[in-house]
Amino acid sequence: MTGITRRLFNTALGSAVAVGGLSTGISAGILGTWTTPAQAQQGGASVVTVATIGEPPTLDPVGTTSDLVSIITQHMFETLFTFDGDWKLAPLVASALPQVSADGKTYTIPLRSGVTFHDGSTVTAEDVVASLDHWTKASPRGKTVAPLVESIAAKGADAVVIALKEPFAPLTALLAMNNGAAAIVPKSVIDGPGALKSLVGTGPYKLLEHKPDQYIRLVRHDGYASPTGTPSGYAGSRKAVIGELRFVPVPNAATRVSGVLAGQYQFADSLPAETLPRIKDAAGVKPVIVKPFGFPLMIMNTKTGVMANPKVRQAVLAALEPNDMLLAGLGDPAFVQAEGSIYAQGTPYFDAASAKPYSDHAAGKAKDLLKAAGYKGEPIRIMTSVQYEFLYKMSMVAQAQLEMAGFKVDLQVLDWATLLQRRGDDKGWDAFFTYHTFVPEPSLITVLNPSYPGWWDSPAKREALAAFNREMDPAARKAKWVALQTLFYSEVPSVKVGEFYNLAASSDKLTGYTPTPWPFFWNTDLKG
Amino acid sequence: MLVYIVRRFAGMMIVMLLVAMVVFVIARVVPGDPAAVMLGSSATPDDIAALRSRLGLDEPLLTQFLLYLGQIVRFDLGESIFLNRPVVQALAERSELTGLLTMMSVGIAMLIGVPIGILSAAKRGGLIDQAAVGLAMLAASIPSFWIGLTLIKYLAVDHAWFPVAGYGPPEADLMERMRHLVLPAIALGIPNSALILRFTRTSMLDVMSNDYVRTARAKGLPPLVVVLKHALRNAMIPILTVIGLTTAVMIAGAIVTETVFGLPGVGNLIVSAVLRRDYPVIQGALLVVSAIYVLINLTVDLLYAVVDPRVRY
Repeated sequence: MTGITRRLFNTALGSAVAVGGLSTGISAGILGTWTTPAQAQQGGASVVTVATIGEPPTLDPVGTTSDLVSIITQHMFETLFTFDGDWKLAPLVASALPQVSADGKTYTIPLRSGVTFHDGSTVTAEDVVASLDHWTKASPRGKTVAPLVESIAAKGADAVVIALKEPFAPLTALLAMNNGAAAIVPKSVIDGPGALKSLVGTGPYKLLEHKPDQYIRLVRHDGYASPTGTPSGYAGSRKAVIGELRFVPVPNAATRVSGVLAGQYQFADSLPAETLPRIKDAAGVKPVIVKPFGFPLMIMNTKTGVMANPKVRQAVLAALEPNDMLLAGLGDPAFVQAEGSIYAQGTPYFDAASAKPYSDHAAGKAKDLLKAAGYKGEPIRIMTSVQYEFLYKMSMVAQAQLEMAGFKVDLQVLDWATLLQRRGDDKGWDAFFTYHTFVPEPSLITVLNPSYPGWWDSPAKREALAAFNREMDPAARKAKWVALQTLFYSEVPSVKVGEFYNLAASSDKLTGYTPTPWPFFWNTDLKG
Repeated sequence: MLVYIVRRFAGMMIVMLLVAMVVFVIARVVPGDPAAVMLGSSATPDDIAALRSRLGLDEPLLTQFLLYLGQIVRFDLGESIFLNRPVVQALAERSELTGLLTMMSVGIAMLIGVPIGILSAAKRGGLIDQAAVGLAMLAASIPSFWIGLTLIKYLAVDHAWFPVAGYGPPEADLMERMRHLVLPAIALGIPNSALILRFTRTSMLDVMSNDYVRTARAKGLPPLVVVLKHALRNAMIPILTVIGLTTAVMIAGAIVTETVFGLPGVGNLIVSAVLRRDYPVIQGALLVVSAIYVLINLTVDLLYAVVDPRVRY
């Protein structure tokens, strides 16, 4: 070996050893106190770090109905209306609820004055019209309304008028949703039906920085014009007390738990139910149980295949024992409720009587129904995904119960992206497991949408849904909803497995937090 | 030597082209749709079809592949469907973390594996040797996620000596970011140290049975000089090989560790991209990782010549 190569070799070996030494030396040298983001000061403002289940697919609130997206973007974007603590509609960018004409076709929406966008410009009626027009073209929710819309126009400087071709009672609720949102944005950031050109809204927080898979930083919008009134749910006065919100994607649930226990996060969302005792026992952290939160569903293919026969679907309902499925999925009875009513107790649309078939479980009954249906042992292709472990466990129990009742089950375990793609093909499956987050307006439930996979679109359902959507009187709407739920249990397009609740954890220092399905952090503060 | 390097680079280009083709085909053959993932579970097939059209995913596969080839010959890896930025930028943002984590964990693996492997060979058959072999088996058997979760529990939650997860807040300096990598580097380094330890031991035993080592001992040289100066040099080729391979594997192979510690590294990026079916990121990231893998192999091969004068290219 020449001198130079020897030196080279020694350098290489030395460097390698030095790297090891450096890494452990640094490790040893930096042991000690470290600063949590909450303690970091951004211009004297407090910072709250929120651990979420992952990286959102987009930060555009209009084009997607993803809950994860709405949890973050509801701080940046606002809609004309929102929901209060009792899930009643309330104004947000609007100054009051819409004035609806006697024929139910014209909605006049007054706008609050002095509302500003994050870029400093003032919200005009023209911006609102452009935003609503964009919503009808880009949002999955807006597209369902689009065929009913005659026109959207400004009425002077401080009102907007939506003219419909026929009455449509859910319109205000659809305009209030924070996902697939009718977000009010400057006309200049709208780019046809595509994504917004820039993320400018009217919310109490604005986007500072987004490093995918690392963090999303939202900072206080100093020019924010809050609605007035006592805070209730998402409605009333909104105050951005926390200077900066950081949403950190932490896909591993155990890590989210550890992070909130260690004080690295001030809030951690969607934690495993079995970690409740650990969170209860920990100092400085408290559990947050969110009720109502959601309901698991076994969606059935009403369009083609063996499940297109309603008798087979009724047999499925009779064969399943939801309580077993719920306990297998979530583990802790504190987090589940075997509830057949699509809306749980304590919500305006709760009705137990029309959900009675939910409780009528009997393998014998299921066998009789299968016989009457002429079922010949065709395999029932059920799609499920381990990415949602609780759904996967439920589907395993369902498989066993269905087989006991005489079904032949082909349980297909897929990754979520594959399931989402496959469910679009009506010939490729008979049932799949998913879950639905609580929605305040029944017409937003996906199963009711005839183009949603499962394709429930019988003449009776079409008529019942149309009657419900046309009805403007709240009391009469409830009666029409009961009729629709009765139909849900006779035609069985899906099986509602029950109610499940969400576990989150919050630092004791985080004050003023209200548990909701989509956690929000205005009106919260960080003490100490 | 120069001719050899040029020849290797030409071969590397062919490998890269094959990787590009294979990854493109596999990504498209696997079911799943980025448009469906992006729109959320309430989306209807019509919504999904409209977005697919906007993303150009409804073009024939051959057209998509030719467009992709046209991009990569211009060293353009395309634009991520989800991340709203070029793939090159997404990779660059994660390269610091992945580079540091790889260096630190390889460093830890070497610090554990090489000295214990040498000691084990020097004390062959003794208690130290048996303990070292047992230690290697144990290190290879413990899953890195378990080591990670245990480290988090005791060193981050119970004692708060280290942060639990992430790569540090935005205001973190390099030192703070490295602090976030200490536990993951240990979790990743320990299982990898086993391989290095066993290769070092085997290689050293091989060399120490040679005549020239016996001659060195007979000359009365101190054992330390015999082992480190005479034996280790010649035992280095297999050790370098395994260190090189370990390094290459760690670049994208730290997936489990990155998940446990919530680290936004290259491995995490690839997994997220696969789950979301972010085709440009899957293709670009795997292409770059393959290139690094090939380059590390080339570097190791060139180091042979430095370590062993008998090796000539």
